[in-house]
Amino acid sequence: MQTIKRSGGGEHWGPSRAEVVAAVIIVGLLLGFPLLHPGYRFLSLAITTGFTAIALYGLAFQFGQAGIMSVGHAGLMGIGAYTAGILAVKCGIGFWPALPCSALAAALVAGLIGLPSLRVSGQHYIIITFCFCALLAIALTNGGGLTGGASGLDVGPIGPAFGLNFNKLLNAYYLVVAALLTCLLANHLLVNSPYGRTLRAIRENERLSRAIGINTNLHKIGALMVSGLFAGVAGILQAYYLRHISPGLYGPFPSLYLALMVMLGGSRLLYGPLTGAVIVSFLPELLQLNPIDSRIAYGVGLLLVILLLPGGVSAGLLGVYRWAMSKTQPSNPRGRRGHA
Amino acid sequence: MATLEITGLRKEFGGVVALGGVDLSIDSDKIIGIIGPNGSGKTTLFNVVTGVHKPTSGRVIWRGENITGGSAYRIARKGLVRTFQQAMSFPGLSVRENVRIACERGRSEGRAISAVGGSPEEVLHFVGLADEGNEIAGSMPFGNLRRLGIALALGINPELLLLDEPAAGLSHNEADDLMELVLRLPKLGIGACLIDHDMFLMSALCERLVVLNFGTKIAEGPPALVLNDAKVKEVYLGADL
Repeated sequence: MQTIKRSGGGEHWGPSRAEVVAAVIIVGLLLGFPLLHPGYRFLSLAITTGFTAIALYGLAFQFGQAGIMSVGHAGLMGIGAYTAGILAVKCGIGFWPALPCSALAAALVAGLIGLPSLRVSGQHYIIITFCFCALLAIALTNGGGLTGGASGLDVGPIGPAFGLNFNKLLNAYYLVVAALLTCLLANHLLVNSPYGRTLRAIRENERLSRAIGINTNLHKIGALMVSGLFAGVAGILQAYYLRHISPGLYGPFPSLYLALMVMLGGSRLLYGPLTGAVIVSFLPELLQLNPIDSRIAYGVGLLLVILLLPGGVSAGLLGVYRWAMSKTQPSNPRGRRGHA
Repeated sequence: MATLEITGLRKEFGGVVALGGVDLSIDSDKIIGIIGPNGSGKTTLFNVVTGVHKPTSGRVIWRGENITGGSAYRIARKGLVRTFQQAMSFPGLSVRENVRIACERGRSEGRAISAVGGSPEEVLHFVGLADEGNEIAGSMPFGNLRRLGIALALGINPELLLLDEPAAGLSHNEADDLMELVLRLPKLGIGACLIDHDMFLMSALCERLVVLNFGTKIAEGPPALVLNDAKVKEVYLGADL
């Protein structure tokens, strides 16, 4: 206890009140969204946003914590989706037993693609990830009977579980929300664990990390595999939601979208990826932009964020919140904490 | 046998001989200094001993174990820890989180906690950064960054610290404060091996000096003897006088 007194206060490890309030609001919004009678169109959009956000949390983990960017992340979703698809079509294995298989397969592939990251870094590694997903799309297109070629695979419905029928869109929504909340919680725990701190050390200074006894190679691959787990879960959810998967879903273009969403939302804050996914999915719809206009708006928005809010929209919102708090409580200037 | 035994350590970069077979033994309860002109191989010696570079030949024995050419992180975990010439921290993280990362390393290896203590607060207090815990490391002045560098090394609970020019770029007062910090280490059972250019500082601090020139050891012994050595005067001080 004496050591805590020495620190001069301002330090507490548990969640702050603001964090708890934010968590309650987010959970409330996610669970309460169907009560707004969103209609078929917006509920579907919300489901898409949900599994996209799960993949984004993986990408944000490797980029925000370990500092390793990838523009091939949709490829890992593809590994998860096709693992589920092949298991369903060739072996008759349904959603629930395939779920861990998809996650593990994507994690394994993520680790393998990560091996070059030990030798190259930055832009060079990004190019490797780009090549991976471009090659994956070609391999899936030419996979013959196994992958169904260019026309892809048809995946059946999710079998009932917990007495729920997931053919109902509302139940499918709650399934995705449950997965998303699990992934938010996992992300929060990982980021605030010694493991998360170790990855941030590697991000900040790799040479110094080694000098204080961190096995940087092991942890970089580890971070990519954790990221792959998230992508695999997102992939199988997408496969079973769409009921049909094809190579085009997992090529370079969807991968770039994921990378841009993470940058737009912000990769270092808990709600950053979710913010990015929601903005990109819902804004064009709410503004009734056609696909070409929305891509242009997206590009302009991304440029603005990079120029004005390097930490993403989430960091910008947090900045506004802290500014507002400092206006109301000027006596608490040492309130900043967090790991950004 | 000394804690760290270096025999015939040689390192070549292409055709350049950076270290030409250095023998050195260091005990972990003393402060020794390595001096020598620029390019004499002082930093290379640290780099090869701590696994940053692999030696061309020679052996490094740490507590009876051959660690020659081992990975940097493994060597650090064994208690042989170095700091860097450039003040090195995790610049984007808070000072407390910097030290916390190091302390968690020390603990995960299951080594006995040194007299500095095992918590980030104790380590910060020891190096005099107790009030800077919430600062972002990269925004601190240079002197504090040096202290943080030492705090990070202390956090993982070392037995021997290799300090690469800990006082470089500091004002006289800051350098004195830092050296006072180094002087407290042996009492805690932590040995220190320093590189520095400041002869007065080094002879006041170290009980033994080692002089390197062009990658070879040309003198070794108590500061008074070494500084009066004819060869040392010629190659090292001769340039100044």
